[in-house]
Amino acid sequence: MKPIRVVLADDHTLVRRGLSALLTADGSISVVGEAEDGRELAKKARALQPDVALVDISMPLLNGLDAMLKIRRVSPQTRVIILSMFSDDAYIAAAWEHGAAGYVLKDEAPEQLIEAIHTVVSGGMYFPVEHPPVVTRNLLTPREREVLQLIAEGKRNSEIASVMMRSLHTVRSHRARLMMKLRVHSAAELVQAAEKLGVVRFSPPEG
Amino acid sequence: MTRLRVVIVDDHALVRASLAKLLCSYSEFEVVGTAADGHGAIALAEKLKPDVLLLDVAMPGLDGLNAIPLIRAACPATHVLLISMHDEPEYLQEAVDRGAQGLVSKASSPEDLTCAIMSAARGEVMKPSIPLSKREREVLSLIGAGKTNEQIATILSISQKTVEHHRQQLMDRLDIHTEAGLIVHARRTIVAAS
Repeated sequence: MKPIRVVLADDHTLVRRGLSALLTADGSISVVGEAEDGRELAKKARALQPDVALVDISMPLLNGLDAMLKIRRVSPQTRVIILSMFSDDAYIAAAWEHGAAGYVLKDEAPEQLIEAIHTVVSGGMYFPVEHPPVVTRNLLTPREREVLQLIAEGKRNSEIASVMMRSLHTVRSHRARLMMKLRVHSAAELVQAAEKLGVVRFSPPEG
Repeated sequence: MTRLRVVIVDDHALVRASLAKLLCSYSEFEVVGTAADGHGAIALAEKLKPDVLLLDVAMPGLDGLNAIPLIRAACPATHVLLISMHDEPEYLQEAVDRGAQGLVSKASSPEDLTCAIMSAARGEVMKPSIPLSKREREVLSLIGAGKTNEQIATILSISQKTVEHHRQQLMDRLDIHTEAGLIVHARRTIVAAS
């Protein structure tokens, strides 16, 4: 049987390298590519057209959920499994809404991750709950969420423009619209809003 | 050559298994045990007396920072190396003050980790690359808590001008260029140290 082709994205190199070794050792899985942020992941997905993308939910430059939207465009047959430390309903729901086929918690055992990969490849879903609650996250456009994440990562407008390959003018107008939509007036409030919307996350999971 | 005996402590089973798998691929190490929180770490240190104990920072129950002195007391021969999701230089000092040999970010390369384990086993202590003063750390944590310059000045009983000066110093030393960047950095640091 042909091994399942997996692309693995996690910004924590130590975890990513270890996971890759774990999956490879299983024999039924072949890790064909690795990425350390959401943008690199989208590029790899386009180039490699993997069966499964295993995606950490919080990554720099572009988080896992928003990266998933790009993957669905550039490699529609790829099934996405979100890897996450967060068992909050809101995150699980967001993954579901973004079209994830699975959601694996980092405190699950390696065997469960492998089971999840097999499940999604054969067309099934793998979620920690049977019916994810519905949470609407459509206040911001995907582009606005991308800008918000980069702002919250401390990037200057010029850096954001270069990461997104957009003009400075476009970035400025996105920023202004973000402030308006989120009804905030300062950088501090933008950062808080970014955290609340799950675009970035700073705190560890609740005990 | 005797292998270094390593214990891995992290609350996430997948992370534990990944790190163990990674270390197993090096002939220098032997992973002798794993645990999911600080209490487990203390018990394993006492029972297995490993050369190095890799300890995650953020864990439910007893977290990494608070577990360090207890692990050292349970087995003085065991050297503790913290592993963290974030790479905050000023936070290394906190770890060392409590008796760890150092701190490695989970974003580092496998080679960085293996070097750090070997140095830790030799009893070497990491030095912070950007040492911040106690006052700077205080200001940083108040910024992260969302306080304005005026509030910080009141809390620390210093002038607003001094707060502004600290803020500028912090941005220069940490090489941060935007207001949002400083807040994010501060929040991560607080989370890591709390």
